[in-house]
Amino acid sequence: MERKIIDFDQGWDYMQKGITKLKRILEGAPETPFSSEEYMMLYTTIYNMCTQKPPNDFSQQLYDKYKDAFDEYINTTVLPSLREKHDEFMLRELVQRWLNHKVMVRWLSRFFHYLDRYFISRRSLAGLGAVGLTCFRDSVYMEVRVNARKAVIALIDKEREGEQIDRSLLKNVLDIFVEIGMGEMDQYEQDFEVHMLEDTADYYKSKAANWIEIDSCPDYMLKAEDCLRRERDRVSHYLHSSTEQKLVEKVQQEVLVIHANQLLEKENSGCHALLRDDKVEDLSRMYRLYHKIPKGLDPVANVFKQHITAEGAALVQQAEEASSNQTTSGSGFQEQVLVRKFLELHDKYMAYVNDCFMNHTLFHKALKEAFEIFCNKTVGGSSSAELLSTFCDNILKKGGSEKLSDEAIEDTLEKVVKLLAYISDKDLFAEFYRKKLARRLLFDRSANDDHEKCILTKLKQQCGGQFTSKMEGMVVDLTLARDNQLKFEEYLRDNSHVNPGIDLTVTVLTTGFWPSYKSFDLNLPSEMIRCLEVFKGFYETRTKHRKLTWIYSLGTCHVTGKFDTKNIELIVPTYPAAALLLFNNADRLSYSEILTQLNLGHEDVVRLLHSLSCAKYKILIKEPNNKVISQNDIFEFNHKFTDKMRRIKIPLPPADERKKVIEDVDKDRRYAIDAAIVRIMKSRKILGHQQLVLECVEQLGRMFKPDIKAIKKRIEDLITRDYLERDKDNPNTFRYLA
Amino acid sequence: MHKLGRGHRDKLQQFITITGASEKLALQALKASDWHLEGAFDFFYSQPQLKTFTDSRHLEELYNRYKDAYVDMILADGITLLCNDIQVDPQDIVMLVLSWHMKAGTMCEFSKKEFIEGLQSLGIDSLEKFREKIPYMRSELKDEQKFREIYNFAFGWAKEKGQKSLALDTAIGMWQLLFAEKQWPLVDHWCQFLQARHNKAISRDTWSQLLEFAKTVGSNLSDYDAEGAWPYLIDEFVEYLNENGIIQNDLINDSSLKR
Repeated sequence: MERKIIDFDQGWDYMQKGITKLKRILEGAPETPFSSEEYMMLYTTIYNMCTQKPPNDFSQQLYDKYKDAFDEYINTTVLPSLREKHDEFMLRELVQRWLNHKVMVRWLSRFFHYLDRYFISRRSLAGLGAVGLTCFRDSVYMEVRVNARKAVIALIDKEREGEQIDRSLLKNVLDIFVEIGMGEMDQYEQDFEVHMLEDTADYYKSKAANWIEIDSCPDYMLKAEDCLRRERDRVSHYLHSSTEQKLVEKVQQEVLVIHANQLLEKENSGCHALLRDDKVEDLSRMYRLYHKIPKGLDPVANVFKQHITAEGAALVQQAEEASSNQTTSGSGFQEQVLVRKFLELHDKYMAYVNDCFMNHTLFHKALKEAFEIFCNKTVGGSSSAELLSTFCDNILKKGGSEKLSDEAIEDTLEKVVKLLAYISDKDLFAEFYRKKLARRLLFDRSANDDHEKCILTKLKQQCGGQFTSKMEGMVVDLTLARDNQLKFEEYLRDNSHVNPGIDLTVTVLTTGFWPSYKSFDLNLPSEMIRCLEVFKGFYETRTKHRKLTWIYSLGTCHVTGKFDTKNIELIVPTYPAAALLLFNNADRLSYSEILTQLNLGHEDVVRLLHSLSCAKYKILIKEPNNKVISQNDIFEFNHKFTDKMRRIKIPLPPADERKKVIEDVDKDRRYAIDAAIVRIMKSRKILGHQQLVLECVEQLGRMFKPDIKAIKKRIEDLITRDYLERDKDNPNTFRYLA
Repeated sequence: MHKLGRGHRDKLQQFITITGASEKLALQALKASDWHLEGAFDFFYSQPQLKTFTDSRHLEELYNRYKDAYVDMILADGITLLCNDIQVDPQDIVMLVLSWHMKAGTMCEFSKKEFIEGLQSLGIDSLEKFREKIPYMRSELKDEQKFREIYNFAFGWAKEKGQKSLALDTAIGMWQLLFAEKQWPLVDHWCQFLQARHNKAISRDTWSQLLEFAKTVGSNLSDYDAEGAWPYLIDEFVEYLNENGIIQNDLINDSSLKR
């Protein structure tokens, strides 16, 4: 059957009826829904009009008419309804019109579907859906976007002020901005977002300017935190998710960044005050607020550092004042209190770093730099290196001033080792520590072997094996020495013809592990000489090629003093013991006679005579009877001496070994600098002065901070000793001489 | 001679007086430098010295005249006699220049080898030639490169045998002698500083670097770089000058000189 030709006017007239019906439905007029028959007829009409032979193929005309349908509806119905409304009401109308428009696009697209399948495809024209949306965008959106934006922003500001608004309305409006972009965010971003962000900035600029004047720092931060939370809420409720980062940054900029200095420096509530008053919660909030902002934490870290530095400096100041008030300057009690306070300070602020500041590297660095400042001060003439080593000594020795459980000791030692990281003169600490370790080990004053080993392990972990190798050697020496003593006693039992005459205990030490000790050729009493020869004979049976050097100054003797009332056992160092034995053969001796017979230096003789005649126990009577040993003095055995105890210990007055340690360390440093320079130049062969100094400081920095002048002196000395020379053409450059 | 203009004739005479060169050589040098005296000096000193023939027998005679009676070297007495013969004060700096030519290992001594080879290099085999050569040797101190060589030679020459450093008193004497030729405004301050603050021997490095310091750092020390590679002692000296306000005075003096 041949299909009847539909002319354009006839066909379009039919379509018009369908479109009119659709419009009435959209406008809410009483209208029956499209039946399937009506739908099919409308579709078929388009189909027929597009498939008739030219000149009756009306595809192009229909395509144009499709667009015209929208334009006509928009111009006659949509725009007038929008133009008569304002603000929120206009927004509601807009949302409704957009919904309606999408329905219209959907239905008309179905009616005109055949165009999409063939005509539009062949001609590469915009699809029906796109044409529909474009109509709305170009006619409606372009006209209302400014007012819509303003209305939306106004509602946002209302919500910021605490008023209730219709959030779903805003979401729907903003969805229009997004959808109108048809897959791109340009419309949303340029027509709405950028303006909203600007408004946000203005809003918070005004708010912050007010808050910063009237609020305390904590209150301000609470508000800032609340603002950020609420802006994030806004995004989750009705803004596009891509806006969140930008929005947050705006708020941060206006509320946190611009007023950062003023906020942090508020007189009684700023960062400094919060630290002073231990406002942990507020400081945590400060961290949370600022840590996402580039450079945001820098001022906080800076105040943190300054605060710790000030607290540390105050502790140093207190200790310095207390130290100068101490009647017995040698006790060093105040200095020990200082170390304890440093440990507490470190615990406190490390907790801040870990908890308030979430282990952020900036705060670790601030803490480190602060401690490096005050931990390197001198107090009461003692460097911090010395103070720390003394503190360790008090913990580790028997009868020390600290009474701690094993667990507490280990914990404290761990913290001391951490504190050592901040001290630039670690080599000085090592030397002082070794000196005191030696005394604990040699005079059996160490309270616990495990603790001694424990701290060495910790020091090794932190400072490296080279730092602790000598100390470990010392501990091993003591173990070997005990074993050696057992062998000696066995040797004496097995060789009855060998008789030392008196009991002898010897501790064999390895030179190099131990601090250097003076080794005088003390004139020993004959009783003692025999002992040494017996031991030497024993030692030679165990090793043929080692040399024994006796260090009498470290020895202890038990001497029976026969006094008029009773015998008393005297426990004395070797030097005083040797002096006492001189009085077996003479009742009175002059200073110079004692000096000559003992073959000791003046310094040692003065010390030992002081301990015997001027201290608590006056075994010798001194003429004249005063407190100062002079070279014209005469000494006499005090037959009348007595004491309620049967055994007394007579120590030597403590020698000031600080100077010696410091001299030893200075000498070691010269060697260390020389070695570093030679090492560097050996690998580089030719190097400029600045670079050499730089690398030298770098290499040595783990142990001590070399003075530039000291390095220059060593360079000159190495030039003199022909390790280095200056380049002939450039005196700022050095050459290594093989 | 009368063909030269008066200006040229004056320059020629001046050149001859300073260098002790022959008129022929002087004329050659001045012409080569377009009659600029400074250029002429450079030209003259950059020319390789013509090795004049010297009579070995005469050199032997000279050596024997001055050598010690017991040791095969010329010692202090011999040097005194030599100075007398050539009419030069033993303290005169020209004796240092002579020692430099001879490559003398130590002060107040010339080995036979040093003496004879030195005189050969100078083209001297008689006392007459020796006296003629004195102005030449004196003029060598005007040449910057030679001055530096002589200055650095002086360290080894003046120090005690077997020592690495130069005794302070000797060093001060040498500096005063040498800088009389070079006009370093701070030399007196330097010597005072050493006596007040240092009081120890001087290392070779400090000795040689002091000349560089004198040459390269202005007398107001505005261009001194304490972070640089200057020897430690020079750093101390600059500190000393600043502490004592000496720089200010010298700045004034320096301005006066420029005015």
